[in-house]
Amino acid sequence: MSIEMEAMLVKIKDRQWALADIDWTAPGAETIDGEFRPKLKAFMADLCWIENIGARGFSALAKKAPDSTLAEIYRYFHAEEQRHANAELALMKRWGMLGDGEMPEPNVNIRMAMQWLDTYADGMSLSILGTVIPMLEVALDGALLKFLLDEVDDPVCHQVFEKINNDESRHLAVDFEVLNMIGHAKARRLAIDFVGSVASPGLIIGALMYLPLLNRVRNELDDMGMEPERLYNAVKRFKQLGDRGEHTWRVPTYQILKRHAAMVVNPRHPYHLLANSMVWLSDRYPRPLLRPVPSWFKELTHEPAA
Amino acid sequence: MIMVNTHTYATLIVGAGFSGLGAAIKLAQADIEDIVILERSDRVGGTWRDTSYPGASCDIPSLLYSFSFVKNPTWSRTYSPADEIRSHIEEMATRFDIRRRIRFGQEVTGLSFDGSAGVWTATTAVGRRFRARTVVLASGPLADSSFPKIRGIASYRGHKIHSARWDPDYDFAGKRVAVIGTGASAIQIIPELVKQARFVKVFQRTPGWVLPRWDIATPPAVQTVFTKAPAVQQLARQALFWGHEASATALVWNTPLTSLVARLGRLHLHWQVKDPWLRRQLTPDFTPGCKRMLVSSDYYPALQRDNCKLIYWPIATLSPVGIRTSDGIEHHLDCIVFATGYDVHLTGPPFPVTGLGGRLLNNEWAGGAKAYKSASVHGYPNLFFTTGPNSGPGHNSLLVYIEGQLDYLVRGITAILDNDLRYLDVRDDVQRRYNARIQQRLTKTTWMSGCSSWYLTREGFNAAMYPGFATQYLRQMRDFRFADYHAVARAAGVRVSSSA
Repeated sequence: MSIEMEAMLVKIKDRQWALADIDWTAPGAETIDGEFRPKLKAFMADLCWIENIGARGFSALAKKAPDSTLAEIYRYFHAEEQRHANAELALMKRWGMLGDGEMPEPNVNIRMAMQWLDTYADGMSLSILGTVIPMLEVALDGALLKFLLDEVDDPVCHQVFEKINNDESRHLAVDFEVLNMIGHAKARRLAIDFVGSVASPGLIIGALMYLPLLNRVRNELDDMGMEPERLYNAVKRFKQLGDRGEHTWRVPTYQILKRHAAMVVNPRHPYHLLANSMVWLSDRYPRPLLRPVPSWFKELTHEPAA
Repeated sequence: MIMVNTHTYATLIVGAGFSGLGAAIKLAQADIEDIVILERSDRVGGTWRDTSYPGASCDIPSLLYSFSFVKNPTWSRTYSPADEIRSHIEEMATRFDIRRRIRFGQEVTGLSFDGSAGVWTATTAVGRRFRARTVVLASGPLADSSFPKIRGIASYRGHKIHSARWDPDYDFAGKRVAVIGTGASAIQIIPELVKQARFVKVFQRTPGWVLPRWDIATPPAVQTVFTKAPAVQQLARQALFWGHEASATALVWNTPLTSLVARLGRLHLHWQVKDPWLRRQLTPDFTPGCKRMLVSSDYYPALQRDNCKLIYWPIATLSPVGIRTSDGIEHHLDCIVFATGYDVHLTGPPFPVTGLGGRLLNNEWAGGAKAYKSASVHGYPNLFFTTGPNSGPGHNSLLVYIEGQLDYLVRGITAILDNDLRYLDVRDDVQRRYNARIQQRLTKTTWMSGCSSWYLTREGFNAAMYPGFATQYLRQMRDFRFADYHAVARAAGVRVSSSA
């Protein structure tokens, strides 16, 4: 499973693409039917903001990278997640879901997640960020995007997501290689790192942000008619990819996230009582208490040229 | 057709910049008059002749960024602009009557030493040959530049300008401009371009440490005092020298003072940039001093102007219409300014230098340049370097270091000529010991603390910087040890000094 990071960086540089490579006016936009449109709009909005949040996560990882090659890879991944978000916005624009100058409104859980990221992400350890990000990517790659492709017939959407999937497969290869590398550390180091992170207010608050955000997206998918098996399979993939690494199992965060994910994908698990209550509560969170949207959030654009 | 100048000069100097002219002045003062200077351009000035981008100035105070033996009491500002430095160099060539020794339009393409005759021959691009008993290589560390090898650069159809070869005729008014790079040149160019262009996009790879620059106009009264009482100017220069010397304890070695510089840098950033995300993107992640320190008080404000934007996404490729970044966006541009630095020749000059027995300097330096006291190289006798290997300062004026090199080469050349030597070649064992010590001392410096910089070769070898105070460097350069060299007499080819 071991990958050569230098070669990976070269491959990443070779496989760059731009929004300008896609003909956004090509036929196919009309295939989105009326009833599905509002649900798809809400989902796409969340999807692109989640990509944007992932981008911010990679930006934090770039500062934690143990060597300059990995830091450079994360710098590219940061940009690539942003590219995915931009491309998804461009799809929304193509489907007539955005007026002139309109940007989708981030929901309250996204706003809280972004607030958390801005406050704590740069201070999180490599082992925490390095586990949460692959989890989100497997969920996106393995479930959401595939589901979207099954539901949407627009060929441009397929073209875009083929490119995104190719990027994501490189992200996952690096993510799991790094996870394996983290697991290679001495047990004492892993324990200290884990206890130190868990005891931090950053991680506790982070978990309080992460649980409802995940459940909100899960509920949206449910509303759109996505079968629970897809999410189940995605989590299975997270486990499979993780278990392929020789040392990944030693990372405590990996073990916790794996178990947590199993609860999320089981619709009958009592965990959902807790998580959905948190979604309900977050809907009632007083908006004035939210901090202004950070400027990195305003970098998103559906325009291929600037 | 090759034209051979049959005269054998006492000394041939390559380059008529600060170092070359300084060498000529110092040699003449030591009564070595039979000098020729080969200059590739039609004017003196070296790097400063070619540095003409808007906002160009020195980043060490002018009082210190000049030779102590070429006083200029009328520097207009603390950090004088490039055209004033150019004029100063021109005036220096005139004042010391150097111009008659310069052969303009002679770009050296090769240097070769004939050990049996003890003579160096320089060939030039126009097919001339010049012979000399001794050579001063003053071609400068930052003389050459080229467009970087960025993907797609050949496909770009808009205007391209390199910061080191400015195009004075290009009108930026109303233009969409990109600046690639955020180093010492870029931070001077950007504040000027934002005043003219429709917009300026600054493409950053790694942010550097930026400290504020107190650049003030020199009051006429001070200029008058400096003119009438040169000792006062000398005193001011000394004060600046020692101030910069003190900064070595923060910038050359990683000490608690280095953290203080980092704090100052962050404070400056915090004070000038209010947006936390922009601040984060501008915060360096390397030890201050590891790369060249930047000084500017108008760079951060320029970045925040409405018509300026910092782009921190990696450049995916250049396209016919502009720059594509990895976030999938294509930036349409009229002009790209490449503020990407110089072609620093860490493995020797950009032409073959052939020493004793046909040895080639570029081959010997392929794994990292090594010299003795930055001035002499074993196997290349009678050849003296200015700004040679491990002579770069990270905290003080380069001109101070060059002065040390000039003193050294004058002693060396005087020794050769006075003793009528065929050649004077630094001993291999002496050079090895010196380099072992330098490299060992370098391990403790900020330059080796993990960042990638132009001081290092691709393999991470530091052949650029001197690990110490300027005072230490000057002391070693004042101490010319004849015994460190093999000296071979001209007449009978007998060795004058013993080898180890």
